Amino acid sequence: MAGVGVTDMQKPGKTAERSVSATLAAATCALLGTTVAAPVDAQEEPKWGFNTSLLYYGEDEDRVQDASFKSMVRRLFADDRTLSLGLTVDALTGATPSGAIRQDGPQTFTRPSGNDSYTVPAGDLPLDDTFRDTRVAITAGWQQPAGEMGLLSVGLSASSEYDYLHTGLNASYAHDFNNRNTTVSAGVSFASDSIEPVGGAPIPLTGMLDVDDTSNRLGDQDKDVLDVVFGVTQVITRNLVVQANYSFSQSDGYLNNPYKFLSLVDGVTGDTLPRIPGPEGGPGGQFLFESRPDERTQHSLYAQAKYYLNGNVIDASYRFMTDDWEIDSHTLDLRYRWPLGATSYLEPHLRYYTQSEAEFYRLSLDSSQALPQFASSDYRLGNFDAITAGLKFGWKTRNDNDMSVRVEWYTQSGTVPTAQLIGNQAARDNYPDLNALIVQFSYRFSR
Amino acid sequence: MGSPCEVLVDGGSGAQADEVSAAVAQEAWRIEDKFSRYLEGNIIHAVNTAAGRPVEVDPETASLIDFARTLYEISNGRFDITSGVLRTVWTFDGSARLPAQDAIDQVRGRVGWHRATWESPLLTLEPGMEIDLGGIGKEFAVDRCAALARDATPLATMINFGGDLAVTGPRAGRETWKVGIEGPELDAAEKVVELRQGALATSGDARRFLLRQGVRYSHILDPRTGWPVPNAPSSVTVAADTCTQAGMLSTLAMLQGGQAERFLEEQGVLYWCRR
Repeated sequence: MAGVGVTDMQKPGKTAERSVSATLAAATCALLGTTVAAPVDAQEEPKWGFNTSLLYYGEDEDRVQDASFKSMVRRLFADDRTLSLGLTVDALTGATPSGAIRQDGPQTFTRPSGNDSYTVPAGDLPLDDTFRDTRVAITAGWQQPAGEMGLLSVGLSASSEYDYLHTGLNASYAHDFNNRNTTVSAGVSFASDSIEPVGGAPIPLTGMLDVDDTSNRLGDQDKDVLDVVFGVTQVITRNLVVQANYSFSQSDGYLNNPYKFLSLVDGVTGDTLPRIPGPEGGPGGQFLFESRPDERTQHSLYAQAKYYLNGNVIDASYRFMTDDWEIDSHTLDLRYRWPLGATSYLEPHLRYYTQSEAEFYRLSLDSSQALPQFASSDYRLGNFDAITAGLKFGWKTRNDNDMSVRVEWYTQSGTVPTAQLIGNQAARDNYPDLNALIVQFSYRFSR
Repeated sequence: MGSPCEVLVDGGSGAQADEVSAAVAQEAWRIEDKFSRYLEGNIIHAVNTAAGRPVEVDPETASLIDFARTLYEISNGRFDITSGVLRTVWTFDGSARLPAQDAIDQVRGRVGWHRATWESPLLTLEPGMEIDLGGIGKEFAVDRCAALARDATPLATMINFGGDLAVTGPRAGRETWKVGIEGPELDAAEKVVELRQGALATSGDARRFLLRQGVRYSHILDPRTGWPVPNAPSSVTVAADTCTQAGMLSTLAMLQGGQAERFLEEQGVLYWCRR
């Protein structure tokens, strides 16, 4: 079509083109009457985000040590659609309390594998030191807007340990209302786990047997967990956001810890009943494997408030949890983000946790009484308080990546109800304190 | 400014934000009133109705005209503040109605900066000619308002006049301002730009064009031919130190038609070109 084309005659030469931005910059300075403007600092939002961390968790007295590497990769697509993939590798070593009580003499136990035995010195808390594991967990999530005001997320998770396999699915939907000042969300997740304990899962409340005797061991076990959560987030003022959640969790299946057992004790002295080991070796006392209900229903309420003022953020939350094992817990968590200059901050953290014991928590089993249907001496089902206190220092690197170092101390102390103490037990430390150090280094960058 | 205008202040109180936005709004209205070609009684109206007589302009108008002259020169006549009258024959309504070449030729006789006499502060146009500073005014206003905001508050501020925008600095904690660049679908941000310093401006309007016999005519007119620039991108967004530079680079790129990307590459700027 005639007249449409721009004539090549007038096309400026390359040198002229290159000088355009320089001439334009000078002309703009003259126009705006300013000195040279600060140079532009712009980039397309990175498509890839990486979040990595290394964490060390160490309990004192040679109990659990965990070195954990975590990496999360996020790929951003157009229109706020996001794919995230996560990988966590944990290397666990150390010992955990087996559930047996302290005794004045040394105690011998059969290892969970059933292949060997070990002896705990007199007066010591019986720990099972075979606890050594590598755990690999992966997650995959997809998030996308659903309509003008909705956000839909779906995800998969899986993790594997030598004796445990987890697979899970989750989905959630969040909807904004009220000029996006209110968000209502609902989520559901389902997990199907299988447990393959070393040496097989023991039949609950059967005795620990001699080395090489596997007559009370069962095959693999499984467990399903359904979680449902409903939440509301409300912007109160431009500086204050509050959130409340209700969550429900239903676990079904094998909920025992296959490595935990209780001491069967004399009804008067409270000491473990003796047992004569066979020729292959075996326990020198009577120990019964724990027995938990095969169902657990938990309800929890969570409330959080975040207050922002000039770079300072106060984040306070409270959680109440109750379940049909009669454990009630309260968690209070406080964080204060205190900016230091424009690119770094200090964040003290304080957390208080308290729980009541499960209705079937027993320090030991009284041989003079009929055996209860359910019993566990797992300290995590006992009555205890815990405090976490820590400090995080975060800063932006020269290329605007985020780094942080977090150091926290965890201390837990519990008590066994006096009514459960029999004879000599009253004089012993039945619920030893647990102290742990947590050090985490995180690095976040994008490409 | 013919578009929604917003001022975003990072942090601070409502009163501080009100103070900054009041100052910005006042300046934006002043520039609009002074340079709008739709209003009577302002300097543009005086120039456009002078009927061949010289008009003495104030220093601010003179600096804008100086700037326009530089652009005319560096664009080899593609950028021309006298090209506005071409709109009397071109209506970009998505239809197939192209104007007759005769009609275009008639209007072309009243287009061309070379026909104007600019001896600052005196501007003389041939009778029938008009100037329109609309192609510069909005970006100029953004930069002026950003300078005002920088003086008014230490808080990081974004001035956004219909997508042409500038920030006075990074947000608290060196956080970025995130700006979405619209994709072909309305309201869907196709790209997100993270801005700590500088400005962004976009030229082009995907919804203004003519379509005839499969040929798409963009609303970007080449004043030298009186015809739309062939193969112009549907939009060009440029990041630069100032909104004025970003806006002029995106406009000059549009005027390069099929060579827009090559032109932008040569300028060494960060840009997003949509076709």
